[in-house]
Amino acid sequence: MAKHIEKAPLEYSMCTGCVSCEMVCSMVHEGYVSPQTKRLFFKAGPVKTMLHEIYTCQQCDDHPCYEACPKKDEAMCIDENGIVYVNEKNCIGCGKCAKACKFTPSRIHVVKSKDKEERKAKKCDLCRTRPEGPACVQWCPFMCLAVSDRLPWEERQETDQS
Amino acid sequence: MQRLDGYAGKILRINLTDSSTEELSTWDYLPDYIGGRGICNKIFWDEVPKGVGAFDPENKLIFMTGPTTATGIPTGGRAVMTGISPCTLPEQYSYGSIGGWIGTVLKYAGYDGFILEGKAPAPVYLLIEDDKVQFLDASPIWGQVVSVTQESIRLAHGADIHSMVIGPAGEHLHRNASITTSNDNTFARAGFGAVFGSKNLKAMAFRGSGKIKAADMEKVFELRKTVGRPERQPNPPVMRESMGHVSNSFPHQWKNGSYACSPGCNSRCQRLLMDSKSPFTGGKVSQTEKCVSVLAFNYTYEHPWGASLFVLDEKNPRTLGQQKSFPHGPDKTDPDWEICSEVYKGDRMDLWGPDFDRGALMMELANEYGIDKWEMIIHYFTWLAMAKKEGLLTDLDFGMEVDVENPAFVRHFIDSMTYRTGIGDIFAEGMARAIRTLGKEKYGDTIYQGRVNQDGVRLDIPVSLEAAWGYSAHWQGRGFQSTPKWLWVANALNTMVNTRDCFNSGHMHVTPDDVRQFLADGPSYSDLLIQRVMENEGASMIKDSVTTCEWQSPDIVWHDMELQMYQAATGDDSMTKEKLDEFAVRSRLLYRAILMRNFGRCRDLEAENVYPFLTYPDPWGEVDTWDEWNDTVDRYYKANHWDPATGWPYRETWERYGLKDVADEMEKLGMLPSPGQAYQRKPDPSVRQEV
Repeated sequence: MAKHIEKAPLEYSMCTGCVSCEMVCSMVHEGYVSPQTKRLFFKAGPVKTMLHEIYTCQQCDDHPCYEACPKKDEAMCIDENGIVYVNEKNCIGCGKCAKACKFTPSRIHVVKSKDKEERKAKKCDLCRTRPEGPACVQWCPFMCLAVSDRLPWEERQETDQS
Repeated sequence: MQRLDGYAGKILRINLTDSSTEELSTWDYLPDYIGGRGICNKIFWDEVPKGVGAFDPENKLIFMTGPTTATGIPTGGRAVMTGISPCTLPEQYSYGSIGGWIGTVLKYAGYDGFILEGKAPAPVYLLIEDDKVQFLDASPIWGQVVSVTQESIRLAHGADIHSMVIGPAGEHLHRNASITTSNDNTFARAGFGAVFGSKNLKAMAFRGSGKIKAADMEKVFELRKTVGRPERQPNPPVMRESMGHVSNSFPHQWKNGSYACSPGCNSRCQRLLMDSKSPFTGGKVSQTEKCVSVLAFNYTYEHPWGASLFVLDEKNPRTLGQQKSFPHGPDKTDPDWEICSEVYKGDRMDLWGPDFDRGALMMELANEYGIDKWEMIIHYFTWLAMAKKEGLLTDLDFGMEVDVENPAFVRHFIDSMTYRTGIGDIFAEGMARAIRTLGKEKYGDTIYQGRVNQDGVRLDIPVSLEAAWGYSAHWQGRGFQSTPKWLWVANALNTMVNTRDCFNSGHMHVTPDDVRQFLADGPSYSDLLIQRVMENEGASMIKDSVTTCEWQSPDIVWHDMELQMYQAATGDDSMTKEKLDEFAVRSRLLYRAILMRNFGRCRDLEAENVYPFLTYPDPWGEVDTWDEWNDTVDRYYKANHWDPATGWPYRETWERYGLKDVADEMEKLGMLPSPGQAYQRKPDPSVRQEV
């Protein structure tokens, strides 16, 4: 897999359920907050556990979402760094990419709207145009998220072992 | 009204009697009433006349978010509910504030708030998905405990549904019944769970797909950074070796985690008790163990606390509103360090000894049945413990031997009042009403002989820790927290003009210099103390309206934080700190107008309600005399431009804040005093003439 967002193991940092990740994702991409436009997915733990999950696009090497796109390279694209991203201008909201995602739940969300123009696939693009990198990583108050090639919890593990 | 960002723009009116809905425009209430409690107060004033009781279908529960909610502004996830409270004694208009997801998801669904009115002919729950509202049959979940109800709703409507539900206590109209959200936040202190029950409303479930836009996204990120001080850090759960604080600490291994109750909160609450054993399933549960819950495990001493909760110093690392430590730690060379760092251990009470399993049981039952934990621990069980030791319970049949240290009795008693069996039927009316039914002089006012201060001196305390309006003590100087006189006098004033325990967002915030001045003036005669109380009441109203979380927002050193949040959310740059303060006074006045018109609020009622508890000594032996207390009340009313004889605002006061219509109504009701009206102070009504 190419680099992608990963959630920290509990022993390193516990997700408090603040969903800052979802919110800032929507804020930096859209300029507003909406559950429809997030590109990573918070799932609250079962009742009374307070143990939450965050589902993210894994940027698969075989990128089935890209392969399934009827407007490949126009709507679902791959950039020079191998990041699979959606060019929304050309996305027709058919949802084939979301269905092709090999993970459950699908890591791609297609906006449901009465307005056809708003029906677009929303998928993590690692904030590829942001100089600061992924907003969810930058703004998680508890460092629960990281890019897979820069995992602080693995660094700590190595330090502990040494 | 010019449309502002940050709002959804609509308020949903839900009539449970005929299953109808109607949409109101939020803009009709802006900019004068901001959001949250501000708009709630206005709606209640406009719509609920005198004579309505808590369980009448005409009672309305009004739920409102603020302009910050769902915008990404940190701490803005909170929301407010108001209505006539069944647990206030007598029943009065009250309020609660809550974290959790409901406010945010409601805004995604397109509404800033909702009004619940009427009564469903049979148990229902509401499903609100965007603009679609369904009234669904609740008979399959009626009777279920909170977690089962929550899970049933998730199974029926999907894991991404957010709910708020009542448990059996609400269904049986227990006056301290709570409403619990699907991430375990509660509206508990106002007993609104019983109002849900009275309306045959078991639950509300929400899903929204809309968007909320803040006006100034750059500013929102700046606020996130500032509120999030210090820098980000990992948050691993840690094993603790002891439970409780300071004097109540006892050895126990437990896993301590952190959680954030609301979407967008970029801070944390640090007392998540993880993996404790559920008395229902035997499995593991995680639940919050904050503040009062500590005493479920061990009530040998009153709740210990640090002055830094109230007394602010920039260099002090843990003031209220800044739960995180400053990276550099405390500056102990600071001359204010001593005053800020003082820790009050509290008086020895000997109510029950350390027992983790019994405490976890008490908390879990409160969670599952949907009962206010505070009243459960601080009023019901303290009373059972003290009354038993004073031999008062021999004539009462509890169905088994009263023993607060016996888990079987804990469960038996909570069961009996939840389901109103046997003597539990009396206690389901709330502790204050139960005591009056049993006979207040014996069952409420008998002195408990087991209270001893840190110097070994025995001090009087009644077996009922009722402080005011039927509520148990909270920062009232004795029984629960041993606050010094300047603080309990301030809190008594705040409580006096309130209808509930006012510490949802109403903790006093003062500086070390303020404290020095209070002590120099004498707490009962300090104009500065009055001024700080009024400012604090205003700050509380602003927090509950904008909305923000008192426990996470550092406004104590950042006085225009709410203003900046409001402006970032709405884009309304015409708002100023002065205007926001003016709003706070207007909204407080409207709250007072409701209490006057609907419930006959006046000076005598207020001063006499609060006074009895002030006659019991604090840990240093300090009390308030009737004259001291009334002198303080005089100053407080005058500072508010209210008539000291009646406690009613003058016409000029109403009109100064744009409430001429209220002044006219008060005139018709004969509640518009003239300045300079003579006032003859009443004699001390207390049964305790000597302390």
